[in-house]
Amino acid sequence: MFLLKGLCVPAMLVLGACGCRTDVVAPEPGQPAPAPVAAPALGDVFYDFDQASIRMDAAEQLSQNAAWMQEKSSKRVVIEGHCDERGTSEYNMALGERRASMAKEYMVNLGVQPERMTTVSYGEERPFAAGSNEEAWALNRRAHFVEE
Amino acid sequence: MRYCKEIFSGVFLVMALLLLPGQVQANGDDYIAIRKEGSGKIVLVLSKPAASGGKESGWAERLDVESRSGLDFTGLFSLIPPPLNVAGPRGSSSQSINFGALNSVGAEFYAGGAVVQKSGNVVLSMEVYDTLGGRPILRKTYTGKESDLRSIAHAFCADLVELLTGRPSVFGSKVVFVSNRSGFKEIYMCDYDGHGMRQMTNTRSLALTPVLSPDGQHLAYTDYASGRPRLSILDLAGGKRRSVARSGNSIDPGWRSNAEVATTLSFQGDQEIYLVRPDGSLARRVTNSRGIDLSPSFSPDGNKMAFVSSRTSAPQIFILDLQTGQTKRLTYNGSYNTQPSWSPQGDKIAYSTMEKNGEINIFTINTDGSSLRQLTSGSRQNESPSWSPGGDMIVFTSSRQGQKKLFVMNAAGGGQRRLLQLEGEQMQPSWSLRLK
Repeated sequence: MFLLKGLCVPAMLVLGACGCRTDVVAPEPGQPAPAPVAAPALGDVFYDFDQASIRMDAAEQLSQNAAWMQEKSSKRVVIEGHCDERGTSEYNMALGERRASMAKEYMVNLGVQPERMTTVSYGEERPFAAGSNEEAWALNRRAHFVEE
Repeated sequence: MRYCKEIFSGVFLVMALLLLPGQVQANGDDYIAIRKEGSGKIVLVLSKPAASGGKESGWAERLDVESRSGLDFTGLFSLIPPPLNVAGPRGSSSQSINFGALNSVGAEFYAGGAVVQKSGNVVLSMEVYDTLGGRPILRKTYTGKESDLRSIAHAFCADLVELLTGRPSVFGSKVVFVSNRSGFKEIYMCDYDGHGMRQMTNTRSLALTPVLSPDGQHLAYTDYASGRPRLSILDLAGGKRRSVARSGNSIDPGWRSNAEVATTLSFQGDQEIYLVRPDGSLARRVTNSRGIDLSPSFSPDGNKMAFVSSRTSAPQIFILDLQTGQTKRLTYNGSYNTQPSWSPQGDKIAYSTMEKNGEINIFTINTDGSSLRQLTSGSRQNESPSWSPGGDMIVFTSSRQGQKKLFVMNAAGGGQRRLLQLEGEQMQPSWSLRLK
């Protein structure tokens, strides 16, 4: 679990640095890494500081997630909203929920049935990456998709 | 600090005129004279209660220690040692108290008494005198079991503070907070000074944002026992726990009265603040605005609610008048203002601001937006302010020593110190009113 998260970090950094947005597919922790050009896979999306709006790179990933949901029509997902450690924890709880709901709303607009997606906020309580720097913060501002 | 003293002097004069019985009113000017020369604190001589017999002497010792540490905690008193031969023999009346000696050491008030055993109970008789007039301003007897010496001492301290300041004291109040010492964030409760701590939840998931109802009967908090954040309301007498049976997430409750607690719920899609009854049923929705509405804190009469909203983009504090339905923005300084806490006296709201450098600091502001005052600075994250029952102290979280720990300070920011020596992190403290 930790190992996969660790691998995910450098992958994200490289992709972020080269501005490559088409294939931002962070491997799901606990899932095997997807083949290079394969079926759509469920992946997490990331946010700017104090924002819940969907970025361009997130839109790409959410389209893939929607395709995945349509392909596996019996599956349900939990969308967890997460924040970085900055700011106050109650506000981050609210922000985390807005991140998860914005991701859900985006996928509903792409045709996914809303009842197949539940949102839960963890605010700043369950960070993915340790550290008090922008690299860690960027990874912690996310909507995390979990198969139910 | 100087301002604080001057304000205190003024407050004290008003209190002395308004609240002390007629016999003391004539001396209001004298109090002020002493106040300006002195440390800004009430100069008190507290004599150990007189006692005969080994058992009673032990009680007297313990009562003295508890009273002293309690009065010291308030930061209101300068306790000076009694001059020699201050008091007459046991069971003394005012005639045998040497007020001349008390005046010469600068004492403004003298408190003393006696402790005896009656049918197995501890009986503490206390008298308080103003030393200038030599008149008694308090005479009261406190009775309890031998195991209750601390609360007997605190009952006297409560009367003394309330008499001299006109405000409720910290004695008998509780602090609820979150700690991760068990490996999970759970709710804990302790006395105002950190004594008697006990664990209130055992969710083994996440329990957050505890707050006691004004009467201390119910504890409201948010927990993840069901897999998502839900409002739980625990009946402390019966032990029964209720949850709000609605979909979505619940965040950060605040009591409006013993009959209603407000919290953010999202079952209708957008995050709005709702009033919930202690049985978990919904009373009504109180906000209606797109975006985040969060962290309700009510005026003492329950008619107004301070809360956080992102309706103007960055989070700011707003005040909703529940009678007119009008909402006014309170904070304009800073671009990230959250965690409002309405003072029990009703005049001020404490909150935290995240600064551009990442520091978080605590401010107070009058409810009309005037008298903005910064209470912390240069000490990393200082957050979650919550007022003492009398509004003269604030408990908060600070990461100034690394991990988040609980601190207290006076309402002007002075006397900042650790509240608890406890392993792990502690956060989100909430101070109850004085529980009878």
